[in-house]
Parts: sequence; structure tokens; C-alpha cells
Amino acid sequence: MSEQPGTHTAEIAASGARRLFLGQTSIDFFGRRIIGAIVSSILLLVTVVSLFAQGLNLGIDFEGGTSWDVPANVFTVADADEVLTASSIDTEGSRIQLRDSDGGAFVKVQVRAISDAQARELSGQFAEVAGVSVDEINVNVVSASWGSDITNKAVRALVIFLIVVAIFISIRFEWRMAVAAILAMIHDVVISVGLYSLFGFIVTPATVIAFLTILGYSLYDTIVVFDRVRENETRFAGVRVGYGDVINVSMNQVMMRSANTSISSILPVVSLLIIGAGVLGASTLSEFAIALLIGMLTGTYSSVFVAAPTLATLKIWSEAWKRDGVAHITGQDLRTLVLGGSVSRRARSGESTTDSASQISGSSSAASVLQHEPRPRKKRRR
Amino acid sequence: MSSRRLRWGLIGFVLVVAGLLGLNLGFGNQPILGLDLQGGVSVILQSTDEASADDLLVVQDLIRDELETLGIAEPDVRVEGSNIVVDLPGVKDQAQALEAVDVAGIVSLRPVLACQAGVTPNDIDEEALVGAQALITTDGLQTCVVGPPGGTGEVFERGSAEAQINQLTNQWIVAVDLRSEGQQRWNSLAAECYSGAETCPTRQLAIVLDDIIQSAPTVNQPSFSTGVEISGAFTEDEVRSLARVLNRGAFPVGVEAQRVETVSATAGADSLRAVFIAGAFGLIATLLFLIAYYRSIAIIVISGLAVWGALVFSLSALVSQSTNYALSLAGITGIIVAIGVTVDSYLVLFERLKDEVRSGRSPRNSGPRSFASTWRTIVSADLVSIFASAILFWLSVGSVKGFALYLGLTTLCDLVVCWFFTRPATILFTRRVAVEQGNILGLGGSK
Repeated sequence: MSEQPGTHTAEIAASGARRLFLGQTSIDFFGRRIIGAIVSSILLLVTVVSLFAQGLNLGIDFEGGTSWDVPANVFTVADADEVLTASSIDTEGSRIQLRDSDGGAFVKVQVRAISDAQARELSGQFAEVAGVSVDEINVNVVSASWGSDITNKAVRALVIFLIVVAIFISIRFEWRMAVAAILAMIHDVVISVGLYSLFGFIVTPATVIAFLTILGYSLYDTIVVFDRVRENETRFAGVRVGYGDVINVSMNQVMMRSANTSISSILPVVSLLIIGAGVLGASTLSEFAIALLIGMLTGTYSSVFVAAPTLATLKIWSEAWKRDGVAHITGQDLRTLVLGGSVSRRARSGESTTDSASQISGSSSAASVLQHEPRPRKKRRR
Repeated sequence: MSSRRLRWGLIGFVLVVAGLLGLNLGFGNQPILGLDLQGGVSVILQSTDEASADDLLVVQDLIRDELETLGIAEPDVRVEGSNIVVDLPGVKDQAQALEAVDVAGIVSLRPVLACQAGVTPNDIDEEALVGAQALITTDGLQTCVVGPPGGTGEVFERGSAEAQINQLTNQWIVAVDLRSEGQQRWNSLAAECYSGAETCPTRQLAIVLDDIIQSAPTVNQPSFSTGVEISGAFTEDEVRSLARVLNRGAFPVGVEAQRVETVSATAGADSLRAVFIAGAFGLIATLLFLIAYYRSIAIIVISGLAVWGALVFSLSALVSQSTNYALSLAGITGIIVAIGVTVDSYLVLFERLKDEVRSGRSPRNSGPRSFASTWRTIVSADLVSIFASAILFWLSVGSVKGFALYLGLTTLCDLVVCWFFTRPATILFTRRVAVEQGNILGLGGSK
């Protein structure tokens, strides 16, 4: 029944995939944090450049105006242009596109703000040219102030949400984790917005909802990862192990879960994008799905590559985790920690728990860390 | 905890959920679909001036009455923050619906200074009119110059205007009652016009809505006690529409449409079908992945998701029936995202279980231990989602609000299912496995 930590090393699987499956990985995430920093910096740089160079492709909900979806049985883009010109509508800023959907192709016509009477008149004219009844045409009218109105509301909601979340994480975990989690979340939303700008996807209220979902998902994912970090933190608190090692152990331990969660969260979204929007042509769905897909990918990435290193950096600055001269644990030693670190000492009751503090000298070896008696669990939660 | 208690708890919970689902299905209680899924018209209105919450409620009631008199079934009119949201699902006649909701302004009462037939307000030099305005009449035949408003439609009793036939003249008239608070104001206007004073030389008092003169009756008595009759060479339609204008006249504030969205019924049905098919594909793909990865214990995820789905369906039905927040495309997307988050609670649990078993603990022992630490993680993570949805629900408008509601609902269901279903199911499952020493989680038997 009882196993020595040493026996694990004999069973380490040869293939990387099998090691991943068995939770035997020993990737030095913290040592390679610079890679994450470079990737994120490049993405953020691209975002800033793109936002300045071409901005966001805002839908009529943010600019104000009127749009029609006219069934394109006989109706063409040229017809739409003709109707607009004939009604002497200012075509500055107007947009006419042919779009496909499950129910047949339609022409999407968008113009800047016009009067209600004009809009109604145009609906009639489009219907006449297209040879359909007015009911068959989808009309959207948005006042110019509506977009800024909902944006302001969203920003206000965001600020209050950030405050609440910061307080919550500070109480349940600690303030450094709150800072790291919120930083990762902002990173995700900014990069999602950047990709929208880069590829010129239209920003609609659906996109805003999707961005808000990203925000929640990113935090959710980070908290799951941090929960494990905190667990390891108490486990290694009494030993001379750097915080980077705590992060490394935790990341390796949660890696399989993160991979599986990403797959099982992203599969439905990919299905929404490919089957819903691609095959069946529901365009509103693609608006949601693209933003969600981007957000989920960055959300999972940032928990491991942004939130965790940020937390480690903040922690190393703190007095409690100052570990000057303690060697960074990698390779086989890290693997031993990853494997042993997830069970408490009782599981290995057979092993001898000789006193450890005296054994730990300048550089801590994995075995000495493991043999150290874990600090008794605190009754009071921080 | 004894297996017996766990088993009964599990069975009890499943029965409750099944009972809820059965009741909902039995009574044909389904989630109400938003109009982006069933087609219809949605309008978001905002007041043009500062409006108190009471003012908005009055406007909300007036719009609802207005829609009901037009025969639009089940209009969904509600106040959200400083906005009024009007959802008209299933409405086919867009033009009629838009007109009904188009409650641009307040009815004002303005003395008529002069009228001229055959001209439009554009022909009249606005600069020459001091405090006055040139407005066109409803039939478009003449333009009248009217003085500044002497009162608003609020002098009339709300909803009291009705079309009648005068027994003596056999003509269509509109009868409307005066509010006790409005009587004085009305009478001072009437007296002014009746006397043909400089401010009202034509003796006509115009009833103006949306800068259009709805009617300009001549005042033929200096004071009115309780009610007013407006007569003229009216047709029945004219009288009815004037009565409607007067009833609508009691709007305390002006409102204007911020956003009008119409979705044709076919487009709505297409979206619904697409989201269903895509959702089903996504779900099946996820389940296949989980079965391939976790083998036999995946039965807990699959049955857990089934229970979760039943609970979400029942609660969505109840919530959408009782609160008017229909299940929109945004809401359904929220639910699809929630599938991922819900599956994640199982993944966190199973990975933990794997760790424990791998390190030599017996499955029987690992089950409760893994759940305890997973529960802590899930509660922390889900609470953040619940905060997010609560704040969004509180502060947003329209479709975002619906989305937040369903996101919160599904997260809550996740927590409930996790505690009442996953906990006993996992513990019982690991006990069985412990007895059989079977292969768990693809790790090989634990000896």
C-alpha cells in the first residue's frame, strides 16, 4: 500500500504524452517565464498598433444608424446602392454586403443615422425591389447615443466588478493573487479586443457580451490554478523552497486539468463557430463564437503564463518568501516534488520522517523537501 | 458518511430534479424564447429629460395599454434602469408595431394663431415667429402657426378619452374627462381662446403630438366642469385615433427610441435551429472526449450533465415565465459556455482523484478527500462567475441582462449539482471500485 517517493521515479513514463497523462511532467514554467512575457508583449504590442492604426470595426449599435437585411432572391448589392442613391441618402459611412445564411442569402444594408420616416420609406422601397413583403425584411434602428450609452454602462459594471473581485480574492486568497488574476484578465480582454481590431471583425453588442464572458472565464480559470498554488504554498511554507518552485510544482500538477478544460470548453464553441455559423450560416452566432474562442484560448494561456509568473514575482518581493541563495529546482527533482507534492504525508506513513531542518543546507534537494514534516494546517483561513 | 445515506441523498436529489422537469413538461411550461429566436420587434426607449422612476413606470403602463388597444398580444414592456424596453415577440406587422411604440413626445395644448391651407411648415419663415411654431395638421392639408404650449395632455384623466356618437347630432365625437388637478389649467386656456384674446385669435386650441397638430377644435364655452367633448366632421377612424392621442397624452416625460431591432420569424427560427444543432454537436464531442479520456468514471460526468441540463431547463422555464426575461440567443450562448465551466468542475475533481490514487491512496479513501478539496476550488471559482452575472444583471440593459441572468442561473445549478449529485455519486463510485479493485481512470488497478 505505502509507496516511497523514490519508487515513482522508476515508473516515469517514456513518452511525453503518457507523462502528461500520468501527471509526471516536470516543465520548468517559472524558469521559462520570459517566453510567456515575450509572447504576451508581442500580442499587446500588436494590439496597441492595430488599435491606433485601424481602430475597431464598430457595428451600427455603437455608431448609430439603420440597417436592413433584405432577402437576396432577386435583390442585389447594386439594387441596394441604387435605392439609396435614388432616395438621396448620404452614402458616407454606409455599408452594403451580401451575406449567406441557412435561410438563403441576404443583403445587409447599413447607413448612418436617418429619420424614422426615411427609414420606413426605404424599407418599403427595398421590399418592392426585392419582391418580398415588408415583414420579410429585418430592420434595426439605433440612435447615435445608444452605443456610448451601453459602453458607459459596461465600463461602470466592469469597474464595480473589478472592485468586488479584488476584495473577494483578497479575502479568500490574498491581495497578490487578486492583482495577478486581474492583470491576467485585463491581458485577455485587451488581446481579444486587439484581435478584433487586427482582423476587422465587427463589434456588436453580442461581441460585448462575449468579452464579458471572457472576463469571467479568465478569472474562473486563474482561480482554479491559484487554488492549487495556495495549497502547495502551505505545504512548502516551512522549507527553503523558492516561490518559483511552488509555482512550477502547481503548474505541472494542474496542467492536465487545464488542457482538458480547454478542450471541453472550446469544443462547444468551435462547434458553434463551424456548424452553427459556418455550415448553417447563423451570423449572430459567429459574432459570439469568434470572441469566445479567442477569449478561452487566451484565458487558459494567461492563467499559466501571465497570472502565475506575476504572482511569483510579487511573492518573491515579499519578506516571507525571500529565498536568497536557494537554488532553483528543475529536472528530476522538480518531478519528484510534482509527484510527491500532491498528497499529504499520511499517505506515505510508512516512510521514515527523520528531521529535516538540519539536513537542508544551501541548496535544497527534492528529497529533503519532501521529508520535511509539513506545517500543521492553520485553523483560521486567511 | 454511510453508503446508505449517500445513496438515498443521491436518489432523492435526482427524483426532485426529475419531478421538477416532469412538472414543467407536464404543464407545457417551457422557457420563453427571446425574440431573436422567434422573431419580433424589440425597442429600447429612453426619456428625453430627467425622469423619476415613477414617471418611467407611468410611461411603461401607458405603452402597454397602447399596445394592447392595438391588439398586439402579450407585449413585454419593462423598465430597466433609465430605459424602457419593449419586446414584442412574434409580431408580424413591423410597421404597425413600430408606430405603436413610437411614442416620441408629450401631447401639448397650444393656442392657434393662424392657419393656411396648402402650405407646409417649410414654406413659413421660422425666424419671424417669436415663441410660436408652424406645424402641419394630421391630414397634411394645412399648416397652422401655434403659440407656446399652455398645458400638456396631463390635464386629462388618464385613459378616459373615448369615441362616442352624439345622440343629438348623430356625429362621432371624442369625450374626455378632466383631472381635478388639470381643470384649472384647461379652463384658463379655454377662457383665453373663448374670448379670442390676442394670444388665441382663432379661438382654436391645437392638440399637438410629435410636432403634428392632431386636432384644433374651436372652444365654444369659457369653462368646463368635469369633461370636454370634441366634435367636428369626424369619421370613426379619426375619432378613435384622436381618443388614442389624448389617452397617450398623459405621458409625464417624452421618450425616444434608442434602438429598434426587428427580426423576421424565419431568421429567428434559423438561429434557434443553428444554435441547437451546434450545441448538440459540441456537447456530443465533449462527452466523447471525456469518455475516451476517463473511461468508466465518465458516467458521473454524463449523468451529472443530464441532471444539470434538466435543472437548467426547469429553472429557465420558471424564471422566463415569471420574470419576462426570455431566453435569447445570448442566453443560450451563455449556457453553452456554461457547459465548459460545468465540465471543468468534474475535471478538477477527477484529476485530483487521479493524483490521490496514483500516490497510493485507495480509491475508497480518495473519493471524499478529492471532493473536499475540489469543492473549495469550485466554490471560489463559481462565486466569481456569480458576482459577474449579478453585477451585469444589475447594471446592464436588454440582451446583456438576459445573458447575465442565465449565466448566473447555470453557475448556481453547477454548484447545486456538484454538492447534491457529484459528491455522493463520486464517493459511491469510488467505494464500488475499491471493492472490485477495478481499473479506475485508466491508471491500472491500485494494488
